[in-house]
Amino acid sequence: MIKIKDIEKTYSKNSVETKVLRGVTFSVQRGEYVAIMGASGSGKSTLMNIIGCLDRPTKGQYELDNINVLQLDDDAISALRNKKFGFVFQQFFLLERTNALDNVLLPLIYTDEYPADAIQQARKLLVNVGLGDRIEYFANELSGGQQQRVAIARSLINNPDVIIADEPTGNLDSESAAEIMKIFSRLHEERRTIIIVTHDRDVAGNAQRILELKDGQIKG
Amino acid sequence: MKITKNIALSCKLLSAHKLRTALCISSMTIGVAAVIIMVSLGRGTQKRILDMIHDMGTNLIVVNAGHVTLLGGRATQVTIATSLKIADADAIKSQCTSVVDAAPENRSKMNVQWGSENLKTDIAGVTPAAFRIRNIEIQKGREFDSVQNDAGQRVAIVGKVIVDKIFHGEDPVGYQIRIGGSYFEVVGVMKAKGIDANGVDRDDRILIPLKTAMHRLMRVTYIQKIHIQVADSTQLKSAETEIRELLRERHRLGDKPDDFTIQNQATLIRAERDSSRAMTLLIASVATISLVVGGIGILAVMLTVGRERRKEIGLRRAVGARRRDIRTQFLLESLIIAGLGGFFGVFLGTLSSFLASKIVDLPVVQSWDAMGAGLTLSFIIGLIFGIYPASKAATLEPIEALRTE
Ligand SMILES: Nc1ncnc2c1ncn2[C@@H]1O[C@H](COP(=O)(O)OP(=O)(O)OP(=O)(O)O)[C@@H](O)[C@H]1O
Ligand SMILES: [Mg+2]
Repeated sequence: MIKIKDIEKTYSKNSVETKVLRGVTFSVQRGEYVAIMGASGSGKSTLMNIIGCLDRPTKGQYELDNINVLQLDDDAISALRNKKFGFVFQQFFLLERTNALDNVLLPLIYTDEYPADAIQQARKLLVNVGLGDRIEYFANELSGGQQQRVAIARSLINNPDVIIADEPTGNLDSESAAEIMKIFSRLHEERRTIIIVTHDRDVAGNAQRILELKDGQIKG
Repeated sequence: MKITKNIALSCKLLSAHKLRTALCISSMTIGVAAVIIMVSLGRGTQKRILDMIHDMGTNLIVVNAGHVTLLGGRATQVTIATSLKIADADAIKSQCTSVVDAAPENRSKMNVQWGSENLKTDIAGVTPAAFRIRNIEIQKGREFDSVQNDAGQRVAIVGKVIVDKIFHGEDPVGYQIRIGGSYFEVVGVMKAKGIDANGVDRDDRILIPLKTAMHRLMRVTYIQKIHIQVADSTQLKSAETEIRELLRERHRLGDKPDDFTIQNQATLIRAERDSSRAMTLLIASVATISLVVGGIGILAVMLTVGRERRKEIGLRRAVGARRRDIRTQFLLESLIIAGLGGFFGVFLGTLSSFLASKIVDLPVVQSWDAMGAGLTLSFIIGLIFGIYPASKAATLEPIEALRTE
């Protein structure tokens, strides 16, 4: 469902150009669980942001479900992010002063039609990630692992095609990380498409396929 | 994204950041209150001038004994002269061609007594001409006439304050009251006029015949003032010259300066207008400054908020918010702030201008359009100062926003 071809990304800062991605080509099938690994600074986040339509490549082609993503305007891309992707970030990115339930509901605010049973759905997702007793808690009243589980519940509320997780366990201890990975494995069993970036070999081991980013290209 | 959802979202966000919201709202409140006070004061000033014209009577010239200046719109005697006489008033009336009538007057604060009640009030000795020239109407009883005046009869026409405080609301006509050391018969009650533009209660007053006042109470041979009515407003200037020449001749001034002051209605009104204009200008500038400060307050808060909230904006964009949604959210926030600030401002402005009129005696008139103007203004400011931060927030790329530390 995801087809990426010859993607290049060049950052220019103070008129110094850095070519981070130099022709990345790969594709991901529906229901696949893919891990992307690579050294720090190798461009993993850059690639993930392009896949998640948070950023645009300098060059290359990107097809999502046969849609040429790079031709869409900003509104269409916003809608695409809303419907097709669920994001899980290393820094969780929850809204402060907002409880777990409202954080999970956030993506629904920006959908065309707000489902009537939104609150039940959100509660169910929170229960599924083991936070049934933390629904009314504010983000700052939750542990890192709990916050990341809220973020996962949030990424699922729109029933997305692809879950994009950039180092979801990077800020967590090994125990919390293991729980998070268990959730991802379960999501994989539910036939969701997952792309995960990690430094951790063990974490990557959960995936069906591991891609190695090196010198701006995919190896292996 | 529906507008109702948007409003709910903005309210939620505003209430989550109470201090920030309160700061914004209060700066808006102060600005709007200032505008309301300004408009009310402007209205009040206008009304004061109209009141003054009505109170004085039309086409009026006032001759004051001695030298008089205007202090805060009120004629205040600076030097006392004893040269102005009743005969001067008679001469003005009979000899000046443009003069219709002249009403000489002497007034003094004196003690009034009835039974065990006691009050210090303004005793005005007037001739019957004053009733017409100065728009004095009688509500009960009757005026006194020139026969009574010439005979120095002890009759009195009392104002409402006297009726209320001395007679406890009873009809006093026919009663005997003591003014100074003499008994007077109350023959009439003046129609209530209320507080004048200068804060003087026009009902706290007793009219008695001028001759009675001069001979029995004040024991003087001179008068303080003559109110003169001119036939036509175009003749005010020429009448003034005529009166001046006549009085100078009668007082044998030769090349000495005037021992009287002539004011005509036009100069009185101009003086009033000048003094109130200075006040209005002062308040207008204070109001403008506070409004701008209020607006900048909102701008500053919205901008810092924008910066502080880059991550939030990034996240919202990442989960599907369009630029338009972010913009609407920011705009709604500033409009809600402006609306609430405007509401409180209208309240505060109305209250404080009301208090100002009661305590410091500023001429204030409350009006709906002042409140409307205040509210509208707050929304306009909310829009103007909301649009910039809103569009700034909206142009942020999701990835830039998320990356900010
Ligand atoms: N906005 C930017 N402007 C300039 N250079 C950037 C920008 N974002 C990333 N880079 C550069 O691109 C390179 C790749 O960054 P990226 O964040 O994709 O790495 P990464 O593989 O995710 O690293 P890590 O494992 O440490 O997260 C880095 O050298 C970084 O300095
Ligand atoms: Mg990274």
